[in-house]
Amino acid sequence: MQKIKFYGVGGQGAVTAAKVLSIAVCLYQDEYAVTVPVYSHERRGSPVYAHIIVDDQPVLLNCYVYEPDIIVVFDDNLLDMGVDVAEGCTEDTVLVLNTARPEMVDKYRRAGGFRRICVCDATGAAVKNIGLNIPNSAMLGALARTGVVSIDAVCSALRDSFGKVGEKNVDAARDAYEDTIDA
Amino acid sequence: MPVKLFDGNSAAVESIRLARPGVIAAYPITPQSGIAEHLADEVADGRIRAEYVRVESEHTAMSVAVGAQLTGVRVATATASVGLALMHEVCGVAAGCRVPIVMPVVNRSLVAPWSLWCDHSDTMAERDTGWLQFYCATVQEVLDLTLSAYRIAEHEDVLTPAMVCLDGFFLSHSMQRVDTPPDEDAWDFVKPYVRRNMYLDPKDVMFINALCPTFEHTEMKYQQMVGFGNAARVAKDVFAEFEQRFGRKLHTVESYRLEDAEVAVVTIGSMSGAAKYVVNQLRDRGIRAGMLRICMFRPFPADEIREALKNVKVIGVVDRSSGLGAAQGPVCSEVKAACYGGTTKIFSFIGGIAGRDISDISFRRIFGELLEVKDGKRDSCTCWFDTREDAMDIREVEVPC
Amino acid sequence: MSTPQETRTRTPSTRKVLGPCSHVLVAAHTGSWRSERPKADEALCVRCGTCARYCPTACITVRREGVPLTFDWDYCKGCGICANECPKQALTMIPEGSEEACR
Repeated sequence: MQKIKFYGVGGQGAVTAAKVLSIAVCLYQDEYAVTVPVYSHERRGSPVYAHIIVDDQPVLLNCYVYEPDIIVVFDDNLLDMGVDVAEGCTEDTVLVLNTARPEMVDKYRRAGGFRRICVCDATGAAVKNIGLNIPNSAMLGALARTGVVSIDAVCSALRDSFGKVGEKNVDAARDAYEDTIDA
Repeated sequence: MPVKLFDGNSAAVESIRLARPGVIAAYPITPQSGIAEHLADEVADGRIRAEYVRVESEHTAMSVAVGAQLTGVRVATATASVGLALMHEVCGVAAGCRVPIVMPVVNRSLVAPWSLWCDHSDTMAERDTGWLQFYCATVQEVLDLTLSAYRIAEHEDVLTPAMVCLDGFFLSHSMQRVDTPPDEDAWDFVKPYVRRNMYLDPKDVMFINALCPTFEHTEMKYQQMVGFGNAARVAKDVFAEFEQRFGRKLHTVESYRLEDAEVAVVTIGSMSGAAKYVVNQLRDRGIRAGMLRICMFRPFPADEIREALKNVKVIGVVDRSSGLGAAQGPVCSEVKAACYGGTTKIFSFIGGIAGRDISDISFRRIFGELLEVKDGKRDSCTCWFDTREDAMDIREVEVPC
Repeated sequence: MSTPQETRTRTPSTRKVLGPCSHVLVAAHTGSWRSERPKADEALCVRCGTCARYCPTACITVRREGVPLTFDWDYCKGCGICANECPKQALTMIPEGSEEACR
């Protein structure tokens, strides 16, 4: 069982990404997933969370994730916004971080002591391939680096979810997957 | 059977589509809005061939639903929270006129304090309105129970409307894999709607819901009571047929590792998975723990519950609504009544109010207290679990002297 | 972005309150939600005022010919309704933080 928590900012598609991850895991990896998004006052710019539990057998838990194995941070400003992304994490928790600023890696490592940080400029990949500042598909590509989901499953789920712009999102995810480095 | 990915709202829409309603009247409200919106999409795209009546309130939605279904078509609507409260009056009309409407209700707290998030205060307030009530634990069950609810509600011995209750956000917005029957298989199970009681027809006029004299009113309530009694039997039959056709077991109550259990929790709704998870953890440590999930709350399966719990020593009943002014939460009241006369110790637990998560951590704490009772280390439990210590001091204002 | 304005009652004595109530009134600066902002093409604008009437936060001021439209950026949430409603397509939504927006 892998417990995953997504941290985003309203408008970045973090909740959508959680749903796409569910599709990838359930339909293209023949495993099970339960997604529980957290909605607050719905607007752009406020912190957004989604909780996903992935397992190779049916998932019983239908609640939030308190001790994540993987956290996915869609916006490197979240720490400065006062969001405690390290909550419940141990040094074994893998962080997938969207940033184009190398100094942020150290900042997040200090915050959570993460031994492994997968770093990716997902926003850059999104702007390049989709033309929009919505990094969700690219972040799923970066997440595939952790092994919890395969990049092919992510791409198939993106095609299912995004219709006409599916291929652009697939390109963003593949670019991000290729560019993600372990820091 | 094709596996699809649905959130709870989409699963409700899918089951409504499979049941081919002729009229839809729904008013959007968080967290049900996805149902009202997707139903509109399905009609606009021709996947549901229905008249979509855009109403100005839930009171009207249910009024349209009652009137339309009386003409002899299956009708779809859905609501949540204060929308259900606004519907309350007409819910009674649907029940008393024996109009077997099936309605998904996305559970959300009632005001005040204002909230958008999940608890059962909305549907628990409707528990004596004369509707059947089913509570889902998973998104799969949203689909399965809605399909089954048509068969149960519309059965000639029942003719009673049904709420299919799904927890707001925890199910309504949770993506899960759902085995979905092909359209024809589902239709073969649900079957076309047949009007079996009073009807609206300009060629054969009836006056429906006229003032009923006292010397008949009690008898009509008696008829409804008989309908509920029949619903318990019909539900068993329909669930058996469902399992035979689709291979998935549905429950009025679900026993989980109760055979030799010494301590158990009674749950309702989406919290049940976390309870099972903790039961498994405790069993791994050699502790005889179990769970009973109430899936059908109306009619209340008292005999089955008493039978399932008869050998358990200590029980905690977890309510997701506050049951204000009562001696315990509403589910606990009913469970205690069902088990009356036994030696089992039964404790009320109240929590998960307005979106507060009921997690495995909550259940570990609850089981911890129940085990201490069993071992004679305590004789009461913390009824309001996961409640802040500073509950009485959380708001302070500056006031003129 | 300026900080939220607080309006307090005058006398500094406190009392506990039961239930959902607060005396600290904080203006929600909806401008912080914005990911896009409207940009006006003054040459196309005919001063009809449609944008101002439809704006859900009433943050657009339309004055006479020759005076540019003004937006209250503390409250414009970037919803784009003004741009949708403008009969002359004189408003376009541009990304927040883009060079054009900073100009």
